[in-house]
Amino acid sequence: MNGILIVILAAAVLIGTFGAAISKNPFDKLIYLSMIFAGALPFIIEKGYLDMAIAAAVIVPVTTIITLQAVWRCRE
Amino acid sequence: MIPEITELSLPALICAVAALYSCIRIVLEKNTLRKLPFLNVLTFAVTGIIVLICPTPLGIAAACAYFIGSTLESNAIASTWAKRAEKEKKDAQEKPDGEAA
Repeated sequence: MNGILIVILAAAVLIGTFGAAISKNPFDKLIYLSMIFAGALPFIIEKGYLDMAIAAAVIVPVTTIITLQAVWRCRE
Repeated sequence: MIPEITELSLPALICAVAALYSCIRIVLEKNTLRKLPFLNVLTFAVTGIIVLICPTPLGIAAACAYFIGSTLESNAIASTWAKRAEKEKKDAQEKPDGEAA
């Protein structure tokens, strides 16, 4: 991977982390969590762990859907 | 063996610029529902980056799985948000009636 790609994907991970820490709305937190995973997945792929990447890409949406059932009952 | 791309290719640069722009828009947008299309743009751009850095059959399978999973995730968040907003609206309509009665 070249340098610009690494910088932009790392920026996505960092922006997602600070956004999830700062934001108050639980739905916004889930969006930022999805952003962290989007930034981190190409680094897993780049090292050649493709089976782990497939497993993570299937498991992360399932965990988000399970978390949404808890967020449904959460009052702002 | 995965071929390593070290020179800057134009398609990967375009995908990276789209990803950066959508990240900035997600942070700056106030409304939660308006963040979700930009999250979709980010995941599409990341799918393109994955395919470009690893053009093997298993890499394409990984990109496929990520594409389907992330779209499902965004749709689940959007539909839960819409259902909850509808329920809160209904509760707000019922509450003044209950107080009046």
